[in-house]
Parts: sequence; structure tokens; C-alpha cells
Amino acid sequence: MTGNNIHKASLFEGVDRVAVLLYILLTMCGLVVITSASFDDSIEGFFSFQHFYIKQVVWMGAAYTIALAILLLDSRYYHMYSYYAYALGIIPLLAVLAFGREVNGAKAWFEFGSFRFQPAEFAKIATALAVARLMSNYTFSIKRIGDLIRVASIILLPLAIIIMQNDTGSGVVLCSFIIVLYREGLNKWLCIPIIMVATLFIFSFLFSPMILLIVLILLFSISNAMMIGGYWRTHIIFVAAIAMSSLLLYGVSAIFWDGELSGYSSLIICTIIGVIVAAIFAIKKNLTSIFLTLALFVGSMLFVPTADVIFESVLKPHQKERILSFLGIINDPSGVDYNVNQSKIAIGSGGLFGKGFMEGTQIKYNFVPEKHTDFIFCTVGEEWGFIGAMIVMALLCGLILRLMKMGERQQEPFSRIYSYCVASILLFHALVNIGMTVGLIPVMGIPLPFLSYGGSSLVAFTILVFVAIRLDASPRKGAMSIR
Amino acid sequence: MSHNDSYIRRMILQFIVLLIFGVMACRVGYIQLFDNQYKSLAARNVLRYEVQYAPRGEVVDRNGEFLVQSMECYDLMVVHRDIGKQGFDTMRLCNIVGISKERLMRALRDARTAPRKAWLVTNYIPKDVKLRFEECNFPGFYTVFRTARQYPRKIGGNLLGYVGEVNADIIKRNPEYKSGDYIGMSGVEAAYEKELRGKDGVKILERDTHGAIKGSYMDGAFDSLPVPGKRLMCTIDAKLQAFAEELMKDKVGAVVAIEPKTGEILVMASSPTYDPDEMVGRERGNNYMKMLGNKRQPLFNRAVKSKYPPGSTFKLVQGLIGLQEGVLTPDKAYPCHGGYHVGRISQKCHAHYSPLDLRNAVGHSCNAYFCYVFRDIIDNRKYKNVKEGLDVWSDYVRSFGYGRKLDSDFLGEGPGTVPTSELYNKRYRGSWNSLTVLSLSIGQGELGCTPMQMANLACIVANRGYYYIPHIVKAIEGRDSIDQKFYEKHYTKVDPKHFEPIAEGMWRGVNIPGGGTSNRAFLAGYDVCGKTGTAQNPHGRDHSTFLSFAPKDDPKIAISVYVENGGFGATIALPIASLIEEMYLTDTITRPQLVDQVKNMKIYYPHYDRK
Repeated sequence: MTGNNIHKASLFEGVDRVAVLLYILLTMCGLVVITSASFDDSIEGFFSFQHFYIKQVVWMGAAYTIALAILLLDSRYYHMYSYYAYALGIIPLLAVLAFGREVNGAKAWFEFGSFRFQPAEFAKIATALAVARLMSNYTFSIKRIGDLIRVASIILLPLAIIIMQNDTGSGVVLCSFIIVLYREGLNKWLCIPIIMVATLFIFSFLFSPMILLIVLILLFSISNAMMIGGYWRTHIIFVAAIAMSSLLLYGVSAIFWDGELSGYSSLIICTIIGVIVAAIFAIKKNLTSIFLTLALFVGSMLFVPTADVIFESVLKPHQKERILSFLGIINDPSGVDYNVNQSKIAIGSGGLFGKGFMEGTQIKYNFVPEKHTDFIFCTVGEEWGFIGAMIVMALLCGLILRLMKMGERQQEPFSRIYSYCVASILLFHALVNIGMTVGLIPVMGIPLPFLSYGGSSLVAFTILVFVAIRLDASPRKGAMSIR
Repeated sequence: MSHNDSYIRRMILQFIVLLIFGVMACRVGYIQLFDNQYKSLAARNVLRYEVQYAPRGEVVDRNGEFLVQSMECYDLMVVHRDIGKQGFDTMRLCNIVGISKERLMRALRDARTAPRKAWLVTNYIPKDVKLRFEECNFPGFYTVFRTARQYPRKIGGNLLGYVGEVNADIIKRNPEYKSGDYIGMSGVEAAYEKELRGKDGVKILERDTHGAIKGSYMDGAFDSLPVPGKRLMCTIDAKLQAFAEELMKDKVGAVVAIEPKTGEILVMASSPTYDPDEMVGRERGNNYMKMLGNKRQPLFNRAVKSKYPPGSTFKLVQGLIGLQEGVLTPDKAYPCHGGYHVGRISQKCHAHYSPLDLRNAVGHSCNAYFCYVFRDIIDNRKYKNVKEGLDVWSDYVRSFGYGRKLDSDFLGEGPGTVPTSELYNKRYRGSWNSLTVLSLSIGQGELGCTPMQMANLACIVANRGYYYIPHIVKAIEGRDSIDQKFYEKHYTKVDPKHFEPIAEGMWRGVNIPGGGTSNRAFLAGYDVCGKTGTAQNPHGRDHSTFLSFAPKDDPKIAISVYVENGGFGATIALPIASLIEEMYLTDTITRPQLVDQVKNMKIYYPHYDRK
């Protein structure tokens, strides 16, 4: 990073060598584990193209070439064409809904001969570019509700389409952009409730709707109070009023109306009145931030009582089972739990040093499902042991932190925001993928970046990371700098 | 956004990233390093412990001829979990293996209750069927090498015994056995179970998620080879045993022949017998039930278990005790006029000249003579009363091996009975005398002996005063000797010097024409000694028995034959014993017409065959 000599500007000048090295190490690790996980001795010849690892070698070649190409392109183009890229990312998403091929219940794939391609992978790049472009506008302010809604729409549009494809996992990845929004100044009292609501949604099946509603009211009251700074007494009075009036309503109905209204209904009625009152109050006092909280609250309030409905109608049976299984509501090691159980067995049996390359019995003998794609971390855990798992996790963690650091040193908000987008996508993938293999998170079919087998995901992650590296390199390359 | 706020957010985000990876690292570390259940679960997934059953030891006779061989056969096992969802062609499997569909379905239903466990579908699959089965590759099914017993000569059912699968009860008593193991249930198989069993090995295999075997675990580092059971050499002479069984056909009784110089059992035939092969294979259960239903009780080993009255053969003991007690000298003669008559009590005798000395009394089997002897023994003034006298007599009798187990290596020996004064005190409320128990003098009454005990008596006389414990095993592979107790001489309470006149009497009975009851047992040049017995019994005709040893001065074989309801001792028991002796001593049969006659002699047993 000492490329001050303009005349000797080379292709790799200013390129973050640490990030590139981490990237190469991760893809190499990926190749080794894929070899081990997918080796099939029924296929003749070690170098047969039927082997997944040989295909992966080809994909890696393609990915490295694309990485080089990205480094060759002028960084201005990314900024310039990001909206076009966004459009280019959305159109295949829609197309796949119509013409795609269904794999494992998700209509998320295009198929050309033996070549499969998942548009959702590229929608991530498109969304990251679009978000970066929008938020780097001079006029953009995260504190303005209008701007916030625009950003939210850019994120939620592909998310909605991907979820319509039944590929919930890939869709939910886009939720990770909340990290970018937070970094760019989104009030933490908005972030926390959003994360909490998402968590509550997962766990909503453990509680009754009434308790959830009470928790939500308290949560939003506190966050609203924190956000507008003070007015604690007002909030306490507001919450107490809702509580008292709903108790009163319940009592009245019990005495005069034969208990037609349940406690829950009373609470909902009083809460609705409370929201209207608060909205009128907000308009009178012109406190726009209250609107935001109220909007979110109403959104999640609608969400919580209907969580059962969503759960029953929107989620597919296997997704329901996965969530229920994860929450321990159903426990069936040979059925739904099978994947996670076998995955834990594979990783757990690895011990400190692992069983060695191609020696993992759980992997070799197919006990772990999807062992070379979504459950690739099992191979790492079983064959390389705790040490290997730590190395892979350290590489991933290092790349994410490096991307964040790269973002921080940018003068261009576009580059910074984009870097953060990439970091949050990688973080989400790592968390969900590794988390699911060790039983921390319900099973969601998303790949482990750079390690899982899969051409489109490898190329997509390569593009994501190398665009960030390119953007990071550009200001220091005098000749090609915009300024 | 101030610079400071941005810095805090950046720090918080970095912290969150590290926190997420930290939590995951802890989780990975926990399941890999601290929670050991996953290692055993992985082993349970992958490893299959295949028992390598040890072939059971073979049994040969004293000349090295096979009595029991091990035949290669296979058990068909199923692991329900490994069958797979697509199922298999049940009809095809049934046809190949040769079982009914119901049986397969029953096995599968059982297997479903414990899907990881290997369940037995059927056993005794011959090798060719096994090979055909393996070509078809039914997932979840596999065969296990076992050995089944095979009996080339088809003799000695009760002698050799049979093996059966252990049941829950046996496993509880012998924890070294596990379900599916075979154990000797009777006869030699049970007596030498420890030697015959061998030691099972184990083979640890790796399998994939479909249950297909992928090779051995750690290249067999933890495998163990089965140690085959030891080969037993029986004291039995297979040819003789077969001959004895043949002669005993259609008769109920037993033949026991012992080599007097060693106590080795040459023949132990209980009749009716059964083909030991019937106790092997899938039909075993049916055959077993059929045999249990047979009133003649082929599974009852009469040679060591039954209690027969010894009849006149017991006169030998009587005479010996008399000599030892000093109430008799070999030359003492007693008159006999068709029997022994005292008051209302009388013991009939058959026609012979009178008076007789001891030698001739033995030869002619005079009842009266031994009534005198017996009364002299128990009414001896030496003793307070008849009760003490009888107990002294009892002790003598026991010293001959009667009334107790001989402590042979053959299991299931019966003790027989020898009465003591206690029994009569109870029965007659204390008021009895030597006349009350007079029938004991000629081996009737409360005496009960096993054919083995009787053969042992023949040994004692042959050896002139001692015996070796009769035993069935001559040598065990890999061992220099058998149990030391079989090399010890056991003397009776009668001094060896008193035996000669008795042996002489037995010789006369056979070898002096008109000199006794056993003339038909004569074998030229072999100095056969014999004693007939005709035992009254409550089940119809008299039992026919014969006790013999030969040659007189260098005894090679001692034999006792007992034929239930056979009539006179000379009628049937004698020719059987004589033929067996001839066969053993000369290895030829010079009287084929006698063989045919004996073989064709069918005895009607109303109390067995009654419907």
C-alpha cells in the first residue's frame, strides 16, 4: 500500500493484499474440503470432469479471471452503472419466477444444460451497489423518513421476489443490510427493535400472542423514549393507561357482557386507541420520529397476532418443521432433526485435530446431507478438527473485518457503504451457515462463502469482494482516479 | 453524523462481528472438545460390530473317527434401518432363502422395534443359498458365518447331546453368553461346553448411510479372530456304539461298556435313541416336540439316569460283602430246594443241583444261596440289631458306586437308590427284620441302579476290587491329560483278595457247559465272565439284564446290558452283551444269525405304547 509512484502504476497497485490473500486462502480451503467431501470412487479417474472438485477448479479459474477483470475496470463504472446493475439483478429474479427450475422446492434456478445459475446470488451484488449508490448521494439523509423508505424499498424489493421464489434463506440475507444502515447513522433505537422483532418472530411460537404484544408495547415504548430523548413520564403514563384501560375493559365485559371480550381482545382494542391517541399527539407536537416508531409498532403488531397465520400459510412444511425442530418443539432425530443431528455428529466427532483429509467417516459415508454444499463446514469440522474449524472461521472473520476496515478508510461514501454491504452479507452467510451446522440457528439453505461448492455463489462472492477491493484501490491509483 | 459517533458505531460493529464468531467458536469447541457424545454417536453411525462366530469343536471317537463335525452354514440377519425407503422384493428373498413370507414379515416387525439392531431372520442357510443370496444384494440383509453340528454316523443322540440357542435364563446365569449364541444343552456338548465353545471374534466394519459395507475399520486393528473350539476325543468306540444301538433297536433299555483298566466308556447307548441330526436345523423345534411326545422318551438317557432293579447281577456284591464280613467262605455250600423258605416268606429259585458253593451259586445264580448270605450279613451278631446290620451293608453297597453319582464327567448322572434302615423304619414304623427286606438279597426291592453303575460293578470285579470313575473324554486338544480324578483307583470296602472266587463263578457261568445261566455268552479263547439278571418289576414282564467282562484275567471290556421287559437275562440281554464283546474283542461277528435274531426281536411295551 505504498503505491505513490504514479508512473509505475501497475494493475495491482493499491490493491489490498491482505484481502486478496484471505480470499485465495478461503477458496483453496474450499477446494480441499470439496475434494474430500465429494470424492466419489465410483467415478473413474481422479481428474474426471464428473467430480465436483474438478468442476470447482474450473469455477475457481473463472472466478479468478473475473476478479482480474474487475481489477482492470475503472472504479467509476461501478458507481455510474449501479442502478443499471440493480435493474439487471432484478429482471432475472422475476424471470426465474416464470421460467426457473425448481430445486428442493425453491424455484430459484436457471438451468442451461448441466450449468445451473441462481440469480439471487447476483441480486445481492446489485442490491449492494444500489444501496451504496443511493446512500452515498449528497442529499441523502438516513434521518429522513422518506430516504429511509427509499433505501428500505431497494432492499425489500429483491427480498420479496426471492421469498416468492421460496428461497427464504437467500432472501433473508438481504436483512443483513441493517448493519450498513446502522453504520450510516440509523438510530440504534430503531435497529434494536427491528432485530428484536425478528428474533421474537422466530421465538413467537414459544409465547402466547398476548405476552408478545405486551413485550412489543414495552419494547417500542422504551425505544421511542430513548429515541426522542426523555419524556419517560409520558411514556410510563401511556403504557399504564393502556394497561389500566384494558383491565377495566376486561372487567366491564366480564361483569356486563358475560366475558365476551377476552383479555387479549381488550388489550388489542386499548392498544389501537392508544396508537391513535399517540399519533394525534405526534401530529400536534410535530414529532415525526414517533411516527416511525408507531409505523414499526403497528407493523409488528399486525405481524405478531398473525404470526401463526404466516407460519401456517406462508412457510412451507419443511421450513415449519425446521423452525419447530430448532426450537425444540418437535424432536425427531431420524426425521426433521436428521440433518442438523448428523451435522453435529460429524463436527463433534472431529475432536481437536480432526480425522484427516478424506478420513471423515461421517462425510465419506454420506451421513451428512448436502455435505459439499450447504453443510460443507461439517467436512472442515470432522476432518480438520477444532483447529481447522478455527482457521477457517478466522479467515472468514479476518476477511469481514478487513472489508470493514477497507470501508472505513475510504473518502468516498459509496465505497465505504459498498464495503460494509459486502461485509454484512458475508457475516450473515457465515453466521447462518456455520450456526446451522452446529445447531445454533434453524436450517436455512444458504452457502458458506468461498467454501461451499457452487459456481454461481463462488463467482457472485468473488465479484462482491473484488468490487470492494477495486473501489478501495482506486483512490490511491492516481492515473485512474476520478478526482 | 459526528466523527465520534461514527467511530463508536464502527467499534460496536467490529465487536459484533467478533462476538458472533466468538459464540460460534465456543459452540464448535464445545461440541468438538467437551461433548463426547458425538464421537460415540459417529461410531454408532459408521461402525458395525460383526461377531465372528467361532466354529465349535469337533468330537471324534477313540479311534479318531468323527462323531460330530462342524458344517458351514449361515444366519440371515436384518438391520431394519439399513433396508432403505424403497423397500425390496420380499417374494424374491423368501424364494431364495426358502422361508415363508409370514416368517419374514414377523422378523421385519420385530426388527422395526429396534431399527439399529441386527435381528435374526432365519438360520441354517447352506453355503450355496448364501452365495445366491449375496448376488442379489438386498440392502439391510446380511449373512453371518456360523457352524452347525453334523453327525456323520448318526449315532449317540443322548450321548453326544445337542446344542441350542441360549435363552434369557441362560444368559442371566452365564453373562459371557449373548443372544444368538449356541450352548451345549445335554450330553458331551453340555459336559465339555467350555472346551468345545471356542472364543468368538469380532470384525469392525464401516458402513455408509445406506448400510452398505465400505470396508474394515482402521484396517482391522481392533478386530479379533475367532478361536475355534477344541477337538475332543471321546472314549466311545463309534463302531461299537453303532452296533449296540442297532442291537437295541425296538427295545427299551441301555448298554454301557467300559474299559476296566481305564474307566473309559466304550459304549453308552440308551434306547430308544434318535438321530442327532434331527436336533439341528430349522426342523429342530418340530422334531424336539415330537420326541417329547414320544412315550418311550428317546430324550431320556437311560444309561445314566434310570433306576433299574439290578436283579441277580447284584448277587456279586452280596457275595463279596459276605466274604469281607467273614460270614461266608468261598467253599461254603447252602442247599436250595426250589427256593428259600422261612415261614410264610419264600424266595423262589430255578432248578439246579444242590447244594452249591459260592462259585457255582454265582454261576447258577441261586437265589436261596444269597438269601442265606444276605441274612447272615445283616443279622450278624457283631451288630446291635438288623438296622445297624443293614446300614453296614448299605455302606458296602455304596462303596461299589451304587446309590450315589459316580462323579463322571458326563452330566445328568442319576444316583440310583440304596436303601438304609431309615427308609424301612419309616415304612414299617420300626418293626422289620431281615426277612422283611429279603428281596434285597437278589437285587430286587428298594434297589435302583443305573446301567452305568452296573457296568462299573463289572469293572470292579474285572479289576478285582477297584474301579476308575467312568468317563467319556479321552483327550482334549491342546491338553496333556484329562481331569486327574479319572486316573485314580477307587477301591471298594471289600478287600481285593475276595474277588477271585466271584470272578471264577462268573467264568463258570459262561464257560462250563451246564455250569450256569450264561453259557450262550461263551467266546472261544476269550474267557468271558458273565452274570445274568432277571428283575421283577411292576410294569409287566421281567427286565432282562446281563453283566459281563472279558477276558477273565486280562479284562479289556466290561459291559452291562439292560433291556426293559426283556424276560430272562439270558434271553436278550446276554446275546446283546455277547455280540458287543465279540465285536470289540475279535472285530468280527461269527454269529450273524444271532445278530438277526436280536435285531428282529421286538418287545411290546404296554405301559409306553398305550394310547
